[in-house]
Amino acid sequence: MEARASGRTIAGGIIPLVLVAVLLAYMLGPGSEMFRLGVALPEISIEKVDFVDSEILATVRNTGPVPVDVALADINDRIQPAAVEPDRHLERLESALVRIPFEWNVAEPYVIGITIDDGTRFEKAVDAAAPAPRPTWDLAAFFALVGTFVGIVPVVIGMLWLPFVQRISPTKYHFFLALTAGLLLFLAVDAAEEALEISRNDLAGVFNGALLVTTVIALSFLALYYSGGLLEGRTGPAAVGLMISVGIGLHNFGEGLAIGAAIGIGSIAFGTFLIVGFTLHNVTEGLAIAASVSRKRPALPVLAALAMIAGAPAILGAWTGGFAYSPIASVVFLGVGAGAILQVVFVVLRWIRREGGRFSGPAVTSGLASGMLVMYLTSILV
Amino acid sequence: MITRSRAVLAAVLVAGLSAIIALPMISDAQTERRTFVTHNGAIVETSGDVLDPLYTPSDVEFDPDEFLRNFEYGRVSVSETGQTVREFTIVARDDLIQEVSPGVFYNVWTFNGTVPGPTLRATEGDLLRIHFFNNGSKAHTIHFHGIHPAGMDGVFEPVGSGGRFLYEFEAGPVGVHPYHCHIMPLEEHITHGLYGMLIVDPKNGRAPADEMVMVLNGLDTDFDGENNFYAANTIPFYYQHHPIQINAGDLVRIYVANMVEFDPINNFHLHGNLYKYYPTGTDVVPSFYTDMITLSQTERGIMEFTYEHPGKYLFHAHKVEFSEKGWTGVFLVRGDGGAGYGS
Repeated sequence: MEARASGRTIAGGIIPLVLVAVLLAYMLGPGSEMFRLGVALPEISIEKVDFVDSEILATVRNTGPVPVDVALADINDRIQPAAVEPDRHLERLESALVRIPFEWNVAEPYVIGITIDDGTRFEKAVDAAAPAPRPTWDLAAFFALVGTFVGIVPVVIGMLWLPFVQRISPTKYHFFLALTAGLLLFLAVDAAEEALEISRNDLAGVFNGALLVTTVIALSFLALYYSGGLLEGRTGPAAVGLMISVGIGLHNFGEGLAIGAAIGIGSIAFGTFLIVGFTLHNVTEGLAIAASVSRKRPALPVLAALAMIAGAPAILGAWTGGFAYSPIASVVFLGVGAGAILQVVFVVLRWIRREGGRFSGPAVTSGLASGMLVMYLTSILV
Repeated sequence: MITRSRAVLAAVLVAGLSAIIALPMISDAQTERRTFVTHNGAIVETSGDVLDPLYTPSDVEFDPDEFLRNFEYGRVSVSETGQTVREFTIVARDDLIQEVSPGVFYNVWTFNGTVPGPTLRATEGDLLRIHFFNNGSKAHTIHFHGIHPAGMDGVFEPVGSGGRFLYEFEAGPVGVHPYHCHIMPLEEHITHGLYGMLIVDPKNGRAPADEMVMVLNGLDTDFDGENNFYAANTIPFYYQHHPIQINAGDLVRIYVANMVEFDPINNFHLHGNLYKYYPTGTDVVPSFYTDMITLSQTERGIMEFTYEHPGKYLFHAHKVEFSEKGWTGVFLVRGDGGAGYGS
């Protein structure tokens, strides 16, 4: 009897799925004529433009509803002989590299145009041409250095507040925990905003940028919330420090991406500006880690590990942003970072309550407010 | 344990899907290497497809070489009064899709299946009877530049889909005259290709020459009010890819008309030579001796020149934007003696 009942349950779960499949088959099959309305307009997106020796490289993706063939390339609206690899035919969401031999000049603006088989021309403007960074050891070492200055050094400096945080009263400690939550909340919004901006500027409409960002943030939050629960069960509150480091690490990966991409697309001055801003900004992240582990008297190697987990991803980010920039990967990484940070904010607030702090008390409210404010003020530098 | 492994599975699925979207997909990669030549003469090798309107043969249904030296004289008869009568049949269509440049397909509107339409030719004083059939989906007409009765002007007599009309008038004055559809929106009907040239020869004729027709035109393939391509006789870069062969010492005569829309001017620059220019072709005495003539909309004329030295000579719009979008060609002057025009 029980087997039959569970069989019925399974059937009850499957029948609607079968019906949906039948409905789709009907709509795509013989009945499809009925739903063929309007004109399907082809669309491609030029996702990326690289300037290399005597060539301009454009990465194009078919972001429309129908397959297209790439027919023609132009620079500044002047037709140029070119090549498309691996081939000119692009199925939906397929991408290809268009190689346009062209003696470009450093720092001059260019418009790259691609015409497809129906004669429609799509273009992408580049404000200033700059040589694409070659993945040389020198440049990799330079990015590592930049990542160290932006990620690791400021975090370590911020963690030097640890002895200070260890000696203060519980109320003041709650203030600093809340300050951490405020800092992190700001970083989460910052990362989400950055992800939305990239999706608006460089991502084709077909990716539903805002929904992609929202979905990635939610998935990242839920995944870390779930794994955080498992961790906490074993190691207790020490896990909070680790999770804050992981969250900050993901955020710093995003900062590294921004710096690497800025240097990669040749806006070196902008890159320098970013580096100074992020360095100051990230000192506060060290404080966040220090506050979270201060009651545990952690050993020096543990602190060093936390600093590396939080800071070193800036180096990875700079490599990725500089050598293998992809708008969609950046959006996904930034979204993961935002979700991770939100999860940490959640954990920190829960922890304050567990420690006996009140959310409506002056310590917590002023801490949160100061955290946001400090971050906003240092962010103006970026 | 089960829940954890499921979570891992889900994470792997999410990561895998992201990777699929984030990484460029690779499809039927080719192993064959191809090469192409850049504007600077550099040779570039690729594993993919070449996008090159200059050196890629296109499968165009329209042959600019054939069009270049083709003149339609009509079905000739003599009236009771002794007047030469020339009858032409012109059919308009607006449903053809043609490959106008390698890999680019455009909905051309045509007179007798081509853009430009056929080059009609008559002698001053001939009676022209043009039987016009509109096989298009929209109304069309033929409006001739020149002198004719009001009712033959092709403006106030729209010919609906499936309709017909007989244009009848005396050829004149002597010269080169464009014809085109005159249905509103006019720009749309012209830019899609409904135009051509009527040449009216003087009764005594002109000196024997290697004669050719160049209708300067543009194609706005994405309908943004700007031409994507320019050309002499429709196909961009065609005569650069297929040089026009002429002979040193021969008199060459080009009947040229500018049918470019959107851009206020077009021009014609000849390398290594100068030409005698007869504006509108209405006179037998040239007005200019130059290598550069500027033409506004439907401005036209006759150019005459002779090359002394064999070799390759460029001709193109000196509005360089136009030449770099297709309006450029080459004369290949042969020195081994020719038809003896003009000698």
